[in-house]
Amino acid sequence: MTKPPVAASPAAEEKRPAEDEEFFESQPFDLLRTPVIGPLLRWRHSRTFLQIPLFAVSVAMILEGLLGPTLSPKNMATVLTWVHFRGALVIAILCAGNLFCLSCPFMLTRNLMRKWIHPRFTWPRQLRNKWIPIGLFVGLLFSYELFGLWASPWLTAWIIVGYFAAVLIVDGLFTHGTFCKYVCPIGQFNFIAATASPLEVAVRDYEVCDGCATKDCIRGRREPSSPLVVLQRGCELALFQPAKVGNMDCTFCLDCVHACPHDNVGILSRLPAAELWNNSQRSGIGRFSRRNDIAALALVFCFGALMNAFGMVSPVYTVEDWLRRTLHIQSQAAVLGVLFTAIIVVEPALLLGAAAWITRAWAGVKSSWLAIAVRYAYALSPLGFGMWLAHYGYHFFTGLYTIVPVTQNAFVDLGWPILGEPQWTLVGLPKTVVEPIEFGFLLLGLAGSLLVAWRLAQEDSETHPMRAFAPWGVLCVILFLCCVWLMTQPMDMRATMLAG
Amino acid sequence: MNRGCLRGRRRATSLRLSALLILAAAPVLVATGCRKQGAATGDVSVDASITPQPVHTGSEVVAFRLANSAHQPVAGARVQVEGDMSHPGMAPVFADAQEISPGTYKASLNFTMGGDWVVIFHITLSDGRKVERQMDVKGVESN
Repeated sequence: MTKPPVAASPAAEEKRPAEDEEFFESQPFDLLRTPVIGPLLRWRHSRTFLQIPLFAVSVAMILEGLLGPTLSPKNMATVLTWVHFRGALVIAILCAGNLFCLSCPFMLTRNLMRKWIHPRFTWPRQLRNKWIPIGLFVGLLFSYELFGLWASPWLTAWIIVGYFAAVLIVDGLFTHGTFCKYVCPIGQFNFIAATASPLEVAVRDYEVCDGCATKDCIRGRREPSSPLVVLQRGCELALFQPAKVGNMDCTFCLDCVHACPHDNVGILSRLPAAELWNNSQRSGIGRFSRRNDIAALALVFCFGALMNAFGMVSPVYTVEDWLRRTLHIQSQAAVLGVLFTAIIVVEPALLLGAAAWITRAWAGVKSSWLAIAVRYAYALSPLGFGMWLAHYGYHFFTGLYTIVPVTQNAFVDLGWPILGEPQWTLVGLPKTVVEPIEFGFLLLGLAGSLLVAWRLAQEDSETHPMRAFAPWGVLCVILFLCCVWLMTQPMDMRATMLAG
Repeated sequence: MNRGCLRGRRRATSLRLSALLILAAAPVLVATGCRKQGAATGDVSVDASITPQPVHTGSEVVAFRLANSAHQPVAGARVQVEGDMSHPGMAPVFADAQEISPGTYKASLNFTMGGDWVVIFHITLSDGRKVERQMDVKGVESN
């Protein structure tokens, strides 16, 4: 890879500090240049090829969820959604990148729809931020606890149906990748998690971009004689490759790869989480430090991980009972609302406010406390990712083989027992194997968060970096200990609303 | 290449893609429509209880009585008791029930974690017919 030229591309030069560049120089891995995967991904229809099986599985999940066994552990919809899909998603992000968005089945139907229906509206400027998907993400977590979604194949199926409908409505009305960028809560989860991924879609050689006049990576390629005819889409999420930084907002759709006439876009290795301390101007995003909405997304991602895990262990019921008695409320929704507000709003506000105030007062950082809190909020996302990995990884690994009897059972129910009788004793890896992996994920998250906080502190205070770092380091360790405590609690999963 | 030709190609591609989607979805649509219905065995009821209450994690006794539609005890059945968590992906637990008096059975089931459980009774009647009944066990408490 060639370094970005200093004079010609100041934005690109600003992208990566020198020492990171050394890392990239020494690790010129490009997934698109690997023997088997590379040609497959470079194939123009690779995304469709990956989407079709997932679409078929989605249809099967909807039908099984609506018509199959009502018991969650015996139903493909709930098993695949809450055990395999979530776990595979976070592990793929950790090992590679945002592979779920790449093979998103919802986008398959949307692309098909757009063959006939051409959206006419542009997404309102006031809504071009992450506040709506943040609300949807919190809403999804809240519904998960309130309605015990994991215990209901029927509700799980309707969530999938609802997702398909939402994609078709939003992207049927609004141009470009509106749903992915401004609505999809799973997408935002993937975007923020993928900041810790080892791979990113990036330019191979910035000098080639400097000489490019067509900018096909964002504009797309059009028929020369008929400019209205699009031969190949450019980035629908407004990420201009030479000025793109990291994985935020990147769906790995590879449109830019296919559009670039110079074959100058690859899937390149990088230092995971390094983009979190990079405050340069990002194409389609701006500067992280000026995006309060993305900082809030990072916080919801981190504290939502704690809340989601807290809802699955015994102490949550003690806390809920205490809230009922203290506040004299009986409604489960109200109790959960208080709990969510406390953990996802009040707790981060207090902790980050205090840490920012200390940083400002002790290290002499000149910014406002809010600006400091926004800047360091990104440092918490690796730890949040570690918690999601530990939680979802636990279900994934301990229930790894459960898809086998569920599939066998589906065929038996169909009167076509080609896979034999269901082997319900097939479950997954033993806890003794999985628990060290969980703590490994948490430690990895802690290491990432501490690294990001340290790098931000070094930039903020040349004279007292340790003073700037200390409050955030302590905060990371406190949150890490909370995660460890949560993972050591006895599991106690009640479908609260359904349980009556 | 003119615009009309390109549109024709795109339309053909769209049709191929639509056909692929339908082909991908068709087997599951057809298959689900063919789902087998359970056998008519509504004449056997299970009256079960778990002691001690409240139910805690660990080994608990599930006692139950099988009766026919005339409320007569159903003796000589083989019953396997299965416990499943409400969350998918968790290990189910199994126990074979013993008949302690005609129509009355008990099994010792090991609830491995707290939370909502569903207990399924896999019953093979003395005439070979198979029946399944289930019971919700809400809020098993962790020790």
